[in-house]
Amino acid sequence: MGDTTEPVEGWGPEIDELQERRRLASQLGGSDAIEKHHSRGRLTIRERIGGLVDIGSFREVGSLTGQGVYENGRLVDLTPAPYVMGLASIDGRPVAVGGEDFTVRGGTSWSGDRKKGGQGGFIEDMAANYRIPLVNLIDGAGGSVTSILKRGHTVFPGVHGFDRSVELMGIVPVVCAVMGTAAGGPAGRAILSHWSVMVKGTSQVFAAGPPVVARSLGQTVDKEDLGGHKIAVDTSGTIDNTAGSEAEAFEMIQRYLSYMPTNVWELPPRTETGDDPDRADEGLIDIVPRSRRKPYNMRTLVKMVVDKGSVFEIQPTFGKGLITSLARVNGHVVGVVANNPMVYGGAMDVRAARKQTHFVELCDTFHIPLVFFVDVPGFMVGVEAERAATLREGMRSVYVGLQATVPSFTVVVRKCYGMAGMGTTDKDGLDFKIAWPSAEWGSLPIEGGVAAAFRREIETSPDPKAREAEIEAEFLANASPFRTAEAFGVEEIIDPRETRSYLAKFLEAAQIRQRNTLGPKGRVGVRP
Amino acid sequence: MRTELNADVTGAVWKITANVGDELEEGATVMILESMKMEIPVIAEDGGTLVEILVEEGQPVVEGQPVAVVEE
Repeated sequence: MGDTTEPVEGWGPEIDELQERRRLASQLGGSDAIEKHHSRGRLTIRERIGGLVDIGSFREVGSLTGQGVYENGRLVDLTPAPYVMGLASIDGRPVAVGGEDFTVRGGTSWSGDRKKGGQGGFIEDMAANYRIPLVNLIDGAGGSVTSILKRGHTVFPGVHGFDRSVELMGIVPVVCAVMGTAAGGPAGRAILSHWSVMVKGTSQVFAAGPPVVARSLGQTVDKEDLGGHKIAVDTSGTIDNTAGSEAEAFEMIQRYLSYMPTNVWELPPRTETGDDPDRADEGLIDIVPRSRRKPYNMRTLVKMVVDKGSVFEIQPTFGKGLITSLARVNGHVVGVVANNPMVYGGAMDVRAARKQTHFVELCDTFHIPLVFFVDVPGFMVGVEAERAATLREGMRSVYVGLQATVPSFTVVVRKCYGMAGMGTTDKDGLDFKIAWPSAEWGSLPIEGGVAAAFRREIETSPDPKAREAEIEAEFLANASPFRTAEAFGVEEIIDPRETRSYLAKFLEAAQIRQRNTLGPKGRVGVRP
Repeated sequence: MRTELNADVTGAVWKITANVGDELEEGATVMILESMKMEIPVIAEDGGTLVEILVEEGQPVVEGQPVAVVEE
């Protein structure tokens, strides 16, 4: 402000102050703090937003928040609030984006009349109000006891709660990217997402970090071993995917969002992939071995059916018995759920079941038709599987599958047995099962079934192994899928090379009802 | 760079199909495990030289157990 005695026309001096404040805000925690952050292989929040969104599209909100330092009533310095957020575009579509600024004293100090983001806050209010996707670039450590000293009282947990975050889960795509060490609130925030990613080597996720773990349990563990990607993504499936770098994380976020509608009141975007919907890949006729003991590469099979280059795999390193990918067929987004015969013969274990439950619900919520490529001998069996509650987790995936109302196609490639097999069909929907000649199905595979039902006869026979093989052969003679097709127990059997063309036609027709049944999915009941 | 190949499943080593010293192509099978009545190949995704086999035929293995070492 000028101290001249002459009256000043116009608001020039205030604009100067505005620009000075913006300049101070852009310095984040200062050049030393930024250099330290960079030396750890991490970008600043402003760099991250810049790397993620369409160039020039970021419109910041709350750019002036922070704590000013004044001398004689003049602003001499400003520590910005440790959170940057606003409206931007990704691939031309509006998104709400925000993240903690770790360079400002570890991202935890300022508090204002209104929260900017982190948990709840303006950014989440905007995503809800405008019905646009939310991207959280998480780099905060969570609550600290030091706030007690600041306020002079203890604060009830969740005063800035997750209520808005939960609401968002039903209406807009929510993406969380863990860009640093996340514990407590920020870690919890990362989980309340439809899809999450963390950066290899420079990020960790845990309920509480090594100091708290040491104090509580006497366990000594470093943060990477406690919550690095090998634990959080590969072992526990707490976070979905790992990015090799921050730049790769931005690409993955952009890619993920390209399959999603802007909100649940809209259809997923269709893009021209230029791949002929009638393409018939010759490789499909012999990719499934004639020997039932031999596995094959299900990912290769799926790629021969869907549009070239359209596969985005979610949780590739967790629950490896199941493959869950977003993809396109004739430009339409589909959710591919495919059993992996390379892992336990494709049997559904606890991790595969959990993965299927989440993915089916994700696709149902965002009106993404499901395509199951089935080769599952049933739920995983044995002592380990029972101790892990495979049956309960498996039935949860069956439950969610039956609640889903999105169009669904069941392509039976080989085995389709038991409740796990049943879980690939939508009995409440069209229940459209398309089988390959290599398909086989039943309550349980013939080997197990014969061993159970004919146990006495086999045991008391002079040559048990031979008798068992004899009985199995009898049953196998009746097991041709064509016989089931005669009875319309399966809706169609196709030449595997026709799969893409066949699916594309029905998928196109299935879009019609989708257009008239948009909006949030209400789900009633208690999951087992 | 030495990479460990791990068993993706709990089961047993059925057949070892490569020898120490072999130059493996991308996607080559090093051994076959048996699990859930299936023959599950252990594959060297990126190829390389097979420098160590850590198991023998008939030996039980657990999920995640290293079974061979490849050098690229």
